[in-house]
Amino acid sequence: MRNLQKYIGIILPLLVVAALMLYPTITGKAAARETAFTILKAIALASSLNILLGYTGYVSFGHIVFFGFGGYVGFYLLSSQGMSLWVSILAGGFSSGLLAFLLGKAILRLRGAYFALATIGVNEAMRAFINNFDLFGGPTGITLNFKAYLAYGGAAKALEMAFYVVGGLAILAILMSYIIRTSKFGLGLLAIRENEDAAEVMGVFAPDAKTWAYVLSAIIPGMIGVLFFFKNGNVEPHDAFPLHASIELLVMVMLGGQGTVLGPILGAFAYQGMRGYLVTSDFFKDIQLSVSGALLLIIVLFIPAGAVGWLRQRFPILRRVLA
Amino acid sequence: MKRTLFNLFALLIVLSLALTACGGKATPAPTEAPVVVPATEAPVPATEAPVVVVEKTITIGFTASQTGAQEVSSKRQVNGFNLWMNQVNEAGGLTLSDGTVVKFAAQSYDDESTKERVQELYTRLITEDNADFLISPYSSGLTAAAAVIAEQNGKLMITTGAADDDTYKQGYTGVFQLYTPGSLYFTSTVDMLKTLDPAAKIAIVNESDKFSTAVVGGLKPYAEAAGFEIVLEEAYASDTADFGPIINKIVDSGATVVLGGGHYPDGSTFARQLYERKVGIQFIGILVAPPDSKFSELGDAALGVTGPSQWEGKATHTEEEANALGIEWFGPSGAEFSAAFEAAYGDKPTYHAAGGYAAGLLLEKAIRNADSVDSEAVKAALDAMNLFTFYGGIKFDTSAEAHGLQIGHSMVVIQWQKNDAGELVREVIWPADVATKPAIFPIVVP
Repeated sequence: MRNLQKYIGIILPLLVVAALMLYPTITGKAAARETAFTILKAIALASSLNILLGYTGYVSFGHIVFFGFGGYVGFYLLSSQGMSLWVSILAGGFSSGLLAFLLGKAILRLRGAYFALATIGVNEAMRAFINNFDLFGGPTGITLNFKAYLAYGGAAKALEMAFYVVGGLAILAILMSYIIRTSKFGLGLLAIRENEDAAEVMGVFAPDAKTWAYVLSAIIPGMIGVLFFFKNGNVEPHDAFPLHASIELLVMVMLGGQGTVLGPILGAFAYQGMRGYLVTSDFFKDIQLSVSGALLLIIVLFIPAGAVGWLRQRFPILRRVLA
Repeated sequence: MKRTLFNLFALLIVLSLALTACGGKATPAPTEAPVVVPATEAPVPATEAPVVVVEKTITIGFTASQTGAQEVSSKRQVNGFNLWMNQVNEAGGLTLSDGTVVKFAAQSYDDESTKERVQELYTRLITEDNADFLISPYSSGLTAAAAVIAEQNGKLMITTGAADDDTYKQGYTGVFQLYTPGSLYFTSTVDMLKTLDPAAKIAIVNESDKFSTAVVGGLKPYAEAAGFEIVLEEAYASDTADFGPIINKIVDSGATVVLGGGHYPDGSTFARQLYERKVGIQFIGILVAPPDSKFSELGDAALGVTGPSQWEGKATHTEEEANALGIEWFGPSGAEFSAAFEAAYGDKPTYHAAGGYAAGLLLEKAIRNADSVDSEAVKAALDAMNLFTFYGGIKFDTSAEAHGLQIGHSMVVIQWQKNDAGELVREVIWPADVATKPAIFPIVVP
């Protein structure tokens, strides 16, 4: 019982993901699987961003660069070099982590708005680079031959498999987020978030801690990118580095509650769930963007701490449950 | 008060989650409603049994860009498609040889001009809305993502507004292209330039995206083979709003002709800024934007600008043309289509609208030829098709390398000119045999 209480902070998020993964299997609907894929992808990306945004307090407006860059590297290996999806996914994650390491050494010296602006610049610079990089197809991008799916049992099986892989990656992102949150390393990150100078005085070596947080927050997005482009069958620069997607991730993290493990999951679920419902609703589909914008504005205005933050404030007993 | 507000908005979140969980709506499954009708209109003996006519509603699914960069062209395409569907349904539908009356219903969602949800929405169209046939989204990039889902589910997809050649070279067997492939977009323009100024120096300035890059990928070798010198090749980002630096490069290159562009927003901005800078370019050919009637809103900046067009009302294809070529003719005349479109939407149809209508017309003809709505039978009919409509020729490559690629359709070149009343009008200037006016060359910038 004590163990259950101790680990409830991770059990609850994992249950949410497990339920999402089971939902299409229970209903047997491919459309439900596609909706769940979008939500799981958002959960994995938002949980990854939370490692940087939630734990260190560094706002990255260009986090989608890791999704795009890792995705491009892995998809290139998959489609042009004939490597397997698994190797490509690992390569995507590794390349994103490496990029984050190099970038981190340079731009994590900046703080506050300067760092946020630099991340936008990095995303745009990477898009421009890929757009002119002939090896990756330049502006036309890379297209996967339909026959490539045969190696995974055909397109239907491959797309179904992609769903379970994204679920696995979402679980990996949550576990990573939880382990960091409850570790000494995570405590150092939280100290940086509260006061970076004070944290350094207390023995936290902030530049290294921030860089590793940045690296860890970049690996899963790179892997997700490969999987998403594999599923889509093609990639183009403007699809790989959409700035608005970075902003949506920030909204998801803040909506659910930054700095918590469960928050980004709830935020991603609520945001993508709401968008998915509005875009297919007979009543709302023509005004879905306006409605979702208005709803988000209202929620952010009245629950600035996010859903988990608000619940923790309102019901102190939940502080043990909602990590 | 504060507490009530909090409760209200907490409720909003819960509601949105609940709505998602049970978001599935009533599915418009294909209906087979038996309708009892008299066997004939003539008086019949009282003892003769009535014939039971089965009415079947076929759902056609697609996503449309109601928001985002492709909004203008996509809406026109959807309007064209809806016009075809309404006309067929109002005429009583299609009657197959077994007496089944086929009517059509459309189901569509907003793809927001991004790939984010295209696959999710097409899966929904196929599995939840039970779409029998699919129409592509507008634009090559979105179509590439949708094609995977269509092929995976064995659904036929007619693509319109998706000109990039690449999609049709990926091994798909159920994706059929209506547009002339992107690599051939500017070939007519180059042919015309040979007659206007064989010594022209060409600057290729295009949007840096899949479609436009495919177009200039075909343009460059074709122009060089025709003996033209390419003095500048420059690609710009899709959201470019300031073409000043690029125009400086054009001036420095000594180009007399500018060919390129991309989609409506950037193409119209580029044309306006070229006009404002008065750089003395003699000929401007831009993709997508000039054939749109909205382009005239640029005023004098539109004057003289040309663009390749998949179809023009003034040079519409005719039954006589089809007969001369020995190809079967099908559907309304161009004048009938234009009049119906104008009556329905109060606007002259552009080639995007004609493409949307022709996509429906193509599907209708394939169903008629197959005498069935079965996907395999309709696919076989599309493979065998060699057709002429007001939109032009329609014939598909059936090789394994490029199955579904359009090989029967050709394009015209339009130019914005002023009529006698001083109003801006689109004139067809090439090919010479269908031209409604000679080309203004060189463009005179006041």
